[in-house]
Order: sequence, then C-alpha cells, then structure tokens
Amino acid sequence: MLKVENLHVSVEGKEILKGINLEIGTGEVHAIMGPNGSGKSTLSYILAGREGYNITEGRVLFNGKDLFEMSVEERAWAGVFLAFQYPVEVPGVSNIYFLKAALNGIRKFNGLAELDAMDFISMVKGKMKDLDMDEKFLYRAVNEGFSGGEKKRNEILQMSVLEPSLCLLDETDSGLDIDALQIVAEGVNRLRSPKRSFVLVTHYQRLLDYIKPDYVHVLAHGKVVKSGGPELALELEEQGYAWVDEKLAS
Amino acid sequence: MSVTHLPNTHYAGLLSAQKSPLIGQDLNWLANLRAKAADEFSDTGFPTFREEEWRYTNISPIEKNQFGLASKAGEIDARFIKSVLLEGCHHLVFVDGFYQVEFSAVNDVPDGVVVSALSESIIENEALIKSLLDSVVETPALGFINFNTALFSDGAVISIEENTVVDKPIQVAFISSKEGALTLSNTRNLILAKASSKAHIIETYHAVEDSCYLTNVITEVVVEPNANLSHTRLQAESEKAYHIGGVYARLENNAIFNQSNYTFGASISRSEIHATLGEASDCNLDGLYVGQNRQHMDHHTRLNHAQPHAVSNEFYKGILGDRSRGVFQGRIIVAQDAQKTDAKMNNRNLLLSDRAEVDTKPQLEIYADDVKCAHGVTVGQLDDTAIFYLQSRGIDEQIAKNMLTFAFANEMIERINFEPLREAVLDELLERFPQAGMKKEWL
Repeated sequence: MLKVENLHVSVEGKEILKGINLEIGTGEVHAIMGPNGSGKSTLSYILAGREGYNITEGRVLFNGKDLFEMSVEERAWAGVFLAFQYPVEVPGVSNIYFLKAALNGIRKFNGLAELDAMDFISMVKGKMKDLDMDEKFLYRAVNEGFSGGEKKRNEILQMSVLEPSLCLLDETDSGLDIDALQIVAEGVNRLRSPKRSFVLVTHYQRLLDYIKPDYVHVLAHGKVVKSGGPELALELEEQGYAWVDEKLAS
Repeated sequence: MSVTHLPNTHYAGLLSAQKSPLIGQDLNWLANLRAKAADEFSDTGFPTFREEEWRYTNISPIEKNQFGLASKAGEIDARFIKSVLLEGCHHLVFVDGFYQVEFSAVNDVPDGVVVSALSESIIENEALIKSLLDSVVETPALGFINFNTALFSDGAVISIEENTVVDKPIQVAFISSKEGALTLSNTRNLILAKASSKAHIIETYHAVEDSCYLTNVITEVVVEPNANLSHTRLQAESEKAYHIGGVYARLENNAIFNQSNYTFGASISRSEIHATLGEASDCNLDGLYVGQNRQHMDHHTRLNHAQPHAVSNEFYKGILGDRSRGVFQGRIIVAQDAQKTDAKMNNRNLLLSDRAEVDTKPQLEIYADDVKCAHGVTVGQLDDTAIFYLQSRGIDEQIAKNMLTFAFANEMIERINFEPLREAVLDELLERFPQAGMKKEWL
C-alpha cells in the first residue's frame, strides 16, 4: 500500500530524514518508535502533505501513485489519514459540519452521492457512542476547549467516520489516561481490517500493549536503524533508546 | 482638544442657511443649546487627521462632497422597509433622518415605557428629553457632536420604566432613500434605562441604493442603578456612504450595559463607543467589522472606569480584505478611585490580502493601584496549521480558507442571543462577503 524509498527530508537546511525505507502492506499494522527528535513526527507530516519540508531525495508511493504529486486534500480523498499529535482547534466551525464537509469531499471524489443528513447524524452518533463521546461534542467547535483526551478521541472519531485506507497515528497515546487510552485503542482495533493499514508513531511501548503491531521499526537520527516484530518494542521498553545509540555507535 | 485647521465653510454655512424648521424650535432651552453648538462648530469644524484621535481616518471626502441637508424623507418602497425590519421587535423607522409613522409599530409596551420619535413627542416628553440631551456626550464636544446638536432632525427617545422588562427588542431603523443621495442626515437618539429595568435596543442603518450620503448619528444612553441595557448597532450602509456614529453611555452603580457593534457598510465609517462606568457596573463591548474593496472602518472605544469594582470586557474582531483598512483604538481609563477595576480588552484582526491594513492601538491609562487590566491585540492571516488540518481531512484548500474566515467572524455572531438579529448580521456577512464563499450551513 505504502512504499517509502530512500526518503531524505530537510528543514531549513538541516537534514531530518536521512534515507528512510519502509514498506507497509495492505492490512498491516506498523509501529514506528524512536526517541524525541528522531524524525518520527516529520515522517507522518510529510506523508500527510504538510508544507515547509524540503524533500531532497527519494519518493513515496501510495497504491503505486507518487504521493508527492498529490495535494493534501487529494491524499485524504485517496485514503490517507493522519491523526495529529496536537489536533488543531478550529474555533467557529462545528464538529458536525466539519465531519460532514470532510466526508462529502471524500465521497464526491469516489463518485458517491452526499450522505443524507439524517443518515449522517445517526452514523456519527453511533461511532461517538463507541468512543464514549458525548453527543454535545458534535455541536462544539472543532477541538476548541477540548481536553487532551477529548481531542485524541475526536481524531479517532474522524478516522472512523472517514474510513481511510491508510491511518497514520502520530503519538496518539500522549495525553491520554489509561481509561481513555483503552477506549481509543478499542476504537482503532475496531477499524482494523484486511483492507486497512496502520502506522503508529509512538515514543512509548504503552500504546502497543493495546494495539498489537505486526512490525516495529526503530527510527533514530533520521534513519530506520532496526526493524522487527512486536518483540522489538518490548526490547526497547526494557533497554531504552540509549541502547539504540549504543548499537549505532558499535 | 487643539484645533489645527480652518473650519469648513460649506458645513458651517449649512448652520446659518438652515431654513426648514428644526424640531423643538419653540423650546428656548433647546434653541439655546443648538445655537451654542452651532457657534462651537463654526469655530472648529470637523476634525482632521492632524488631530491625534483622527490620525488614521481622513474625512476630507466628507468635506469635498459638500452634502446638503435633507429637508424631508424620500419615497421608499414598503417592501424594502419590511426587508430590513427584524421580526419580534418594536419598530421605529426613520428615512433620511425623519420619522415614518406609517412604517413604525410600537404596540403593547409596558406602562410607563416611552418608545417614540423626538419629532412626535418633544412636547409631551420635554422634561425627559431635556434631561438626556447633551448630558452624556463628551465635553468639549467633537465637531460631529456639535454639528449634530445644532442640526438633528429627529431620532428616537426611549425610556424604560423602573422595575420593568421590555420583552421585545426595540429596533430603530435608519434608512437612506434614493432621494437621500448626496444629502446628510443628523439624528439623535436618547435612551434612559431607569433603575432595575431591562431592555434591548437595536439600531440598524441601511440604504435603498448604493448611493453616496452622510449619516451623522449620536446616541446618548443612561443606565440607572441595577438596570440591564443591551444596545446593538448594525451598520449596513451603502458602500459609497459615510457614516459617523457615536454611542455615549453613562452607567450608574451596578448597571449592566452590553453594547455590540457590527460594521459592514460605508466607504468611510467611524464608530465611537464611550462609556463612563459607575461603581460595580458591568460593561461589555462586542464588535465585528468586515471590510472589502477600499472600505475604511474606524472604531474608537473609550471606557472610563470612574468608580471602584466595575468590570469591563471588550472584544472586537475585524476581517479586512482587498484594500480595505481597519482602525481600532481602544482606550481604558481607570481613575484613581476606581480600585478593584477589572478591565479586559481584546482586538483580533484577520487580514485576507496583502494590501489590506489595520491600525490597532490599545491605550490604557491607569491611575489606581489595585486593578486588573488586560489587553491583547493580534493582527494575522489565516492559520496555516488549521488550513492544513482541514485539508488533511479532505476539505479543499479554498473551502478550508473560507470556513476559517467565516469561523473567525462567526465567533462574534454566535454571541448574539436574539435570533432575528443574529440572522440579519449573518445575512449581511454572507451577502457582502461573497469572495469568501461562506455558507450558512457552516454554522
């Protein structure tokens, strides 16, 4: 589904990603772990299409198409979804309208008719219930005044409404207490399907207790320094990221 | 205030050339008041941008246009009037500065409540009018105030009886007719909210055609102890017009005054909101200005915390597109005795074009030592991160920008409780700001 080939990215002349190679197959769940400053968040932003990064080398193919040829919204239409580490507050735009505009944008791209208002509301309310979100959030401005946990739930709600094929989760566990983490993880697990792939970007192994990855990659200093199965995450948890540095040094 | 220019002969000339009788001309006290104001105006004329308070707003086009005085109301299509009247309100309608009884409707107001036109009730309400007129405006008066006092043709007089709630808002609509082109109208509104009363008064300004004229309006407001008065101005003048509007309010002890100001129209507009705050009074000022093309919108507010324990909260937002220009000057004065004052002022501006401009100037003068005063000013463009966030959910870039622009304005509009007014303000926004492509469903 996603193929990252020798990706080099710099910001203001400083190289952040130094040749990333990754292949995410359809239906797979990959975790990308790494210490702060390793370039994890940059990678997820780049995939979603954030401006301000200079791609100096390499390419990314999404279902065979060059991702960098697509605008941000085109990527979303094609099925890329980034759950933000810091979801953005959009004062004055209600959650319900935002969700509707987003979903209809995607449906239009896929040649589907706009969803009927009643069907839309009942569909969204059902998903909110799954995420233990109060319906009043629908009528509040997007993320405005939401707690950290509420914002993260709102990201997962958007993901479940938009049903993307590639879900990028950037530090989704940060700011969540244990109850909220379980609810969010359940929300993600419900979305797991043979047709949908996940990339979980995380500093800690905690999230992976609840969302079991198929593959784990360790990112350090802008490179994937180690890849393996779920056991790699546990190894990291025990030994810490210093262990990665030691390995690199040796 | 120092005067640094020669009085304008055209407008000074209008004072002496005034032929048609002004209302209340038989009342000595009023004739004297008008004569005094005329004298002062003849000395000073209108202010110029050489004066500090007017440095961002050049009103020389008003002088150049040499507007004449409207002598009577022009013809107006009843359908137009209907289109600007808000549902669920009492209505007073003025055309070209003159009261129109046939379009006005003030039914079943509670006992002791006066909702009338000056021209209709100046004899009947003489004592009330005398007590209010020229009692709240600042001294020394600005040129526009003196000009207004000397020449006002009409206006609303509203008095809310003690312990009385007027359920329905009172809309005072000012409309410029086709014949109103190239004329100027001076209107004066007098509002008294007696102790423990409650009311909402909505002034609206409209034009039938996209014509050039001048509105010079002053509203004087007294809010007595424990009264709660809401006052709104919706300025939807023609885009070629000039609008000079002032609200001068005195809040007595424990009074509540909520003033909100929505500016969409006029080529050059100036809004003055001045309030003197009595002990433990509460004053809230909301404002939204939306400029496009070459519109110039100047908002001056002055809150005089004269007594202790008063609270003021001011929030003005502006959206400026094309080559429009906004000015916000917010002044807060905290007198030495006004301990425990709590004053907040916030002005946020969104510039949609490289050629749009805003000058924003908060001015705090604090003479007391135990007060909380906070002010914040921002001038910015649409938030890139928010645009990216919306795009990343499949909303295309232009719609994302429109939504954020609309949302910026809507944050002020959704604070309006009275639904017909909220709808009217929204309609102005959507109608006048098509370049943002905003839609009502985005609420």
